[in-house]
Amino acid sequence: MPKKQTPLRPYFEKMPDIGKPLSEGEVRRSKENIDLIGEHEEIIAAEIDKVIKAGLPAEKIHDRGGMTIYDRLEYLIDEGTWSPLHTLYNPADNDEGCTGVINGLGKIKGRWAVIIGFDNKVMAGAWIAGQGENVLMVTDLAKRLNIPLVWLTNCSGVKLMEQESVYAGRRSSGAPFFRHAELNQLGIPILNAIYGTNPAGGGYQGISPTILMAHEKANIAVGGAGIVGGMNPKGQVDAEGAQALIEAAKSFKSKAPGRVETHFDETAYFREVHETEQGVLDGIKDYMRMMPAYDPTMFRVAAPAEPKFPIDELNQIIPINQKRIYDATQVLARLTDNSEFMEYRPDYGREVFTGIAKIDGLPVAFIGNRQGVFPDYPDYAEGAYPAVGGKHYREGLIKQGEFVTLCGRDNLPIVWLQDTTGIDVGDLAEEAELLALGQSLVYSIEQTDLAMMCIVLRKGTAAAHYIMCGPQANNNNAFTVGTPLTEIYVMHGETAAAASYARRLVKEDEAGRDISPIVDKMNQMIQDYQDKSRPVYCAQKGFVDEIVSLTELRKYIQAFVGANYQNPHSITPIHQMILPRTIKG
Amino acid sequence: MSTDVTAPMSGTIYKIHVTVGEQVSYEDELIILEALKMENPIYAPADGKVTEIKVSEGTEVETNQVLIVLE
Repeated sequence: MPKKQTPLRPYFEKMPDIGKPLSEGEVRRSKENIDLIGEHEEIIAAEIDKVIKAGLPAEKIHDRGGMTIYDRLEYLIDEGTWSPLHTLYNPADNDEGCTGVINGLGKIKGRWAVIIGFDNKVMAGAWIAGQGENVLMVTDLAKRLNIPLVWLTNCSGVKLMEQESVYAGRRSSGAPFFRHAELNQLGIPILNAIYGTNPAGGGYQGISPTILMAHEKANIAVGGAGIVGGMNPKGQVDAEGAQALIEAAKSFKSKAPGRVETHFDETAYFREVHETEQGVLDGIKDYMRMMPAYDPTMFRVAAPAEPKFPIDELNQIIPINQKRIYDATQVLARLTDNSEFMEYRPDYGREVFTGIAKIDGLPVAFIGNRQGVFPDYPDYAEGAYPAVGGKHYREGLIKQGEFVTLCGRDNLPIVWLQDTTGIDVGDLAEEAELLALGQSLVYSIEQTDLAMMCIVLRKGTAAAHYIMCGPQANNNNAFTVGTPLTEIYVMHGETAAAASYARRLVKEDEAGRDISPIVDKMNQMIQDYQDKSRPVYCAQKGFVDEIVSLTELRKYIQAFVGANYQNPHSITPIHQMILPRTIKG
Repeated sequence: MSTDVTAPMSGTIYKIHVTVGEQVSYEDELIILEALKMENPIYAPADGKVTEIKVSEGTEVETNQVLIVLE
């Protein structure tokens, strides 16, 4: 009988246990917290519902015998694997309530892909403001994770009434065609299921992927049939011109160019043509079977296991009251396989934890903030003040920089759990080199070629939001998720109001003038900070890629880790890893 | 037997959740102490009856100062 095992078994098979069951008191006290989180989830769900219902009612598409983007995704993606991203993204506050594309990570026939499709209910998949940026985030994701990009194209081209917001510019809706070329050059395949009429921008959307397959009624073309020529160039439309246009439009009977008769029968651009919408998706499924993907066994260090503690207890552990502290280890214990964690330098830089865990049996690094008070720390303060969790101090920054560098060497993807109020400030902090150490961590991240996932559990504040691999780390950050408890701002509104108006208050007070108008402005500013840091706002503006319930966090981590190990372009043999040995000593 | 509930750090009493004579259970939240911009809940160390509350909301307290007595 052959004998088999997972690699480096003494390090990975059984790692240190973390976490403990919630006490009766914790359970009793958490009821209000659960309710409050539930209220926030309802607000987010209502916004998501608006996006799903954007444009034509689904019934109208069904009545025409068609499928909506949501029907197509449901048919295409393996059950239980869809992890949507950018659902609420709408940075230009479009009337449509969305950017007209639906995207995320999902498995098709057992393989991870980045999947994106035009919402055919919204102006037949027109280019609308913010869409170009949304698509670029998606192409970046495929590039970072080195996994196929699957397009469900159904694109009517530019929304002509708003062309200035989509057509021109470095990151406009034309930029994705170059990204598609870049992905192809990198060996990342793009599969394209083409539906409906796709003129001009839609045509390039159709032609730019790697493999094209079409519905029998689809077309792709340089320009559409709807552009009626022969306008008298007067610079404006008068009654005579309008009448001529009416006559021309009435007699306009030609079919849309670039139909299947052309691009299957003549040019042979389309690999397949299907009579049914499902047939096209079946074609995509068949091609997904051909996509490069290692079996996870290649990289597993143990058998997959669920955490020992229920994930829904996260709603009891993390207080929605941002001033309340919690035990970050208890959070980690509800995310990692078998609630195990191999911690790197636990006694050094105690305000952050760094270490290795397993997700579905695959090795993953975790970095996050601890909460609470750390007496007799940081050393450089010499007792002048204690360290407070959520902040970063000298040792913690050094530890994170070291750890990230070692992860880079070992090809360990990193999940960051942010709940940070910033980096320590003041003369002592400057003398302790915190400014340079913060940037040093940025350098360490950029110097690796690792995919990272950022979770803004609660607060993402000041430069600490950047240095903990926020979305600004564009080359490494695959995606960032927020939670119903997330707040992202440069500083708390009260701090900002004090910083902005303190001198003015002094001036008015010394002049004997009424300070109440200034006080009103300060409170207005605090409210504005509050309104513009909420989870829905963060998602709409792209501060995060999705808002995810705490109970869904592990699912997103599984998607990230699974996709990361599907087809990595760099491998560290498990038995040659240095980090587990460094931890063990 | 009486048990003293003390402040784990210096700060300001932000909220008192109990009244004298009230029966409390182990790990019930008795007081919130605000310090270092954080709300630090102080829990009952055991089941008992509140016999004395030695502080009021807004009181500044020092580390190890007795806040509540349980019996």
